[in-house]
Amino acid sequence: MKKISRRDLFKVSASFGVGAVSAFALSPFLGLVEISEAKSSKRSKISPFNFAVIGDAHLYEMPNHRFDETLKRAIDDVIRMRPKPDFVLFIGDLANFGKKVELEKGKRMLDRLKDNGIPYFIIPGEHDWYLDLGQTWKEMFGKPYWSFDHKGVHFIGMNSILVEDYWTARNMSPWERMLAIAELECHICGLWGVGEEQLEWLEKDVKNLPPDTPIVIFTHSPLWDYYPRWNFQTKDAPEIRKILSKFEKVIAIHGHVHQVVYNKTGNMVHIGNLATAWPWPYPPVELPYPEIKMLRVDPGDIYDGVGWANTYIDETFLGLFEYKTWAELIPPELKKGVPL
Amino acid sequence: MRVVKFFVMGSLILSVSANFSLSKPPFTEEDLKLMHEELINLVKKGDELFHSPKLGTNGLTCANCHPDAAFTNPDTFPKFQPNVGEVATLRDMINWCIKIPLKGKMLAHDSEEMKALEAYIYYMYRGRTLKPGDNTAPVPPVKVDSGPGYP
Repeated sequence: MKKISRRDLFKVSASFGVGAVSAFALSPFLGLVEISEAKSSKRSKISPFNFAVIGDAHLYEMPNHRFDETLKRAIDDVIRMRPKPDFVLFIGDLANFGKKVELEKGKRMLDRLKDNGIPYFIIPGEHDWYLDLGQTWKEMFGKPYWSFDHKGVHFIGMNSILVEDYWTARNMSPWERMLAIAELECHICGLWGVGEEQLEWLEKDVKNLPPDTPIVIFTHSPLWDYYPRWNFQTKDAPEIRKILSKFEKVIAIHGHVHQVVYNKTGNMVHIGNLATAWPWPYPPVELPYPEIKMLRVDPGDIYDGVGWANTYIDETFLGLFEYKTWAELIPPELKKGVPL
Repeated sequence: MRVVKFFVMGSLILSVSANFSLSKPPFTEEDLKLMHEELINLVKKGDELFHSPKLGTNGLTCANCHPDAAFTNPDTFPKFQPNVGEVATLRDMINWCIKIPLKGKMLAHDSEEMKALEAYIYYMYRGRTLKPGDNTAPVPPVKVDSGPGYP
């Protein structure tokens, strides 16, 4: 199949005197993909590549736990990928209660990626953080927010799970603090976000990047208001979206929701990653894109309702988010991946 | 005759005001409040159990998979439950979850713990339509804005 690049489309449209193009491009990995705009841009400097997303492992202290098995299976799958992914992004909640022994177990498992020539990047989730306010996590993995450039794409990772102090006034121990926020429906924890420091950092980080720079941003929680009750949100997402609004297109990938979910806001496309631990039901609100949804789960099968993702980025900055699962979870029409 | 007529009318009025079938007057506000408090106490106990790892042995709680009791679907029981292999009640399903995903010991159907779990689950689905046997699309629990979701 001949591939039509974004630049080719632009040439065609220019010859017909059409400024903006709304067309269908043939893509080798997807069949038909709608392209709402075509621009000559630095995107042509992207060398196509793929990376894997794993997250929400929720490892417990006890040995041979079912969540060890599912994370191990995801890591084994990634190691066996050919061609190898350029890197793995771990999208938060490696541990369940932020214990050193849980984080160490997780690091040992993730380090198998490195041993097999696959680097990984990591951001924290609330389950990694609230026993010691991120101290162990930071000692183990470094800064919880960062950016890097890879093959023409600017990647950003942020720590989106920072809440205001709910523990001091209540005289809670670190363990009580952790147990409270370990519940999805914690009703004393409040809404979380990235906070001022990271917003300032983000502003500086992208200041000198031209608008046609392809941006991929990773956060544990979604950068849109999905269901605040379960912290399916990021408090300062509006500010983040504003800072990133100058870019032609931003791909935002998040964890935390343990489910297939998709949304678009302005110049951003958002997609939720599956957990390796357990799936979460859809909250009592309308889905923005109800056709992008996972199927019923067999709760007796530890490999059902969970998984990881392979993300393919082509030279025109079209992304394809392919949910990788071990049971019949993904509707047939999404099996080839969700276009980003 | 007039006396008899008066008597018939009187008993009619009485029975209407007593809601046809009740021989006792309706519950007072105070009665209703006390009964509701009793229920909420059980719901609260169920909420605690629902979020406690002590029902199982692998650290998991009911709430791991069912935040705010979502996807427990008490409105659809009894129903044929493929993983149980027969028509199951909500209590059967609670026990299945304790035994399989939580790797715990099943509760006696008439135990205080079972009643409490059932009370919490039903209460989080209050107002939902009963659809016994429904294995189609699940209905979510009540939408909670703040607090535990009750009273």
